[in-house]
Amino acid sequence: MSIKVENITHIYNEQMPYETTALDHVSVEIESGEFVGIIGHTGSGKSTFIQHLNGLLKPKSGKIYINGIDITEKKVKAPEIRQKVGLVFQYPEYQLFEETVFKDIAFGPSNLGLPQNEIEQRVYEALSLVGLDYREVTDKSPFDLSGGQKRRVAIAGVIAMKPEVLILDEPTAGLDPKGHKEILDMIKKMHKKEKNTIILVSHNMGDIAELSDRIIVMEKGKVVLTGSPKEVFKNADYIESIGLGLPPAMILMRMLKQRGKHVYTDILTIDQAEKQILNLLRSK
Amino acid sequence: MLRDITLGQYYPGESLIHKLDPRIKILATFIFIIELFLITEFIQYLWILLFLGMVIIISGVPLKFMLKGLQPLMIIIILTFGINIFMTKGEVLWTLGPLNITREGLHQALFMGSRLILLIIGSSVLTLTTKPIKLTDGIEKLLNPFKKIGLPAHELAMMMTIALRFIPTLLEETDKIMKAQMARGADFESGNLLKRAKSLIPLLVPLFISAFRRADELAMAMEARCYRGGENRTRMHELEFHYKDIIAFLVVLCLLGIIVWQRLR
Ligand SMILES: Nc1ncnc2c1ncn2[C@@H]1O[C@H](COP(=O)(O)OP(=O)(O)O)[C@@H](O)[C@H]1O
Ligand SMILES: [Mg+2]
Repeated sequence: MSIKVENITHIYNEQMPYETTALDHVSVEIESGEFVGIIGHTGSGKSTFIQHLNGLLKPKSGKIYINGIDITEKKVKAPEIRQKVGLVFQYPEYQLFEETVFKDIAFGPSNLGLPQNEIEQRVYEALSLVGLDYREVTDKSPFDLSGGQKRRVAIAGVIAMKPEVLILDEPTAGLDPKGHKEILDMIKKMHKKEKNTIILVSHNMGDIAELSDRIIVMEKGKVVLTGSPKEVFKNADYIESIGLGLPPAMILMRMLKQRGKHVYTDILTIDQAEKQILNLLRSK
Repeated sequence: MLRDITLGQYYPGESLIHKLDPRIKILATFIFIIELFLITEFIQYLWILLFLGMVIIISGVPLKFMLKGLQPLMIIIILTFGINIFMTKGEVLWTLGPLNITREGLHQALFMGSRLILLIIGSSVLTLTTKPIKLTDGIEKLLNPFKKIGLPAHELAMMMTIALRFIPTLLEETDKIMKAQMARGADFESGNLLKRAKSLIPLLVPLFISAFRRADELAMAMEARCYRGGENRTRMHELEFHYKDIIAFLVVLCLLGIIVWQRLR
């Protein structure tokens, strides 16, 4: 499932006094099975960008190819794209509406017109992928669950459609540290198991640095940096200058360096930081 | 999609019309509507057109934007036009099957159609050039005299302010939930009436839940800041009349005078 975005521009409220150019000639390529992280300041156009990938928004100009098919063309059927590219919105728990968890997760698959036994199978799989116990929650009202559980049910609702590309827009926003870790572990596990393409929008630099094969940095509707986490975070000063943070491990190393310690600052994860600090202590 | 509704939307600007006192603008709009209904002859529309054209030019709101407000009401305009053109008896000009178009009908249809269009454009000038908050402030002030007979002017204005404040929020929310359900394969556009009504459930349930949640949060926030009705409440921006308000009002009154005089003659 390859995605190729060519030069797309999107303008909200065109020709009104408050028009905003949310995307400004954006080009991106994403390969099958890749884990891509998207970071950028609030209002940089991340959400607008990902909504183009499953045809919810149409660009003013430019092309979007999914597996070589141009989805900006009129004749392409929306349901087909939406089945292939699953999109989990920010605060997805606000879209829950059914009486039971089962029915809510089944909403997507039944819209695909699948037979009943297949739907049941998919709800079961989706629930286990998001780490919820099928028997415990299936007949419960989604509104009786905890915040973290609601969110996982909402994510399961998209996973149950078995998209080849899964896009998550700030899936951990507003969760407590435990809920945050659970969602993240779940995404990690799923990527390992399903080998699907994942696009993760997040403000948490630590998560992005650890999980992504490639990072896309957006600023004012443009892609300003892209590359592996190592490559991207080499531009630490630039990233800070556009109002973004750095991975915690990297911040720690930069502080140690400032105090005259001999450490590398181009590290991204806690594990790497641990090694560096151990080395530092041993060399004394 | 939903955001394209311009009727009742504010068009930011700094023009003279924008700066007029909302009370004057509300009263002027009322008088303008009365004027429209006092008109009996086509030629008198020239006065109205002259006045409206002047106001629109001063306001700096593009005409295109004004006309967009007509779109959602097009059905009503066409219906008015249609009923008048076919239902008026008189000298027959053309015959379309069982329907006759008469000279009087044509005249009546054009007359009524113009009145409706001018009415819509005229009143949208008010909402396009006045911030909703100012508008409700003005309404509250205008209703104040009626407090004596028990009209809860402040409460009414507060309710209106809140409602206006939440229209864009709810539209945004609707847009978001719709997209989220469409991402799960929901289809809001095709099928017969029953199917379409049913397809609204995934939209309406979350929308109501969120509206109630917001109402609850707002009530809580207002109470936390000790809000308690209108008694002895002062405001941050007191409304004041200036010379420009008086002049604007005189212009509208002049127009009324001309039309009344022509009618009485
Ligand atoms: N539905 C909309 N209507 C009008 N403007 C919008 C809409 N959605 C987003 N915008 C504007 O587009 C820009 C990009 O927004 P968004 O894509 O949500 O950024 P991000 O997800 O990176 O915070 C912002 O300036 C925002 O105000
Ligand atoms: Mg966003």
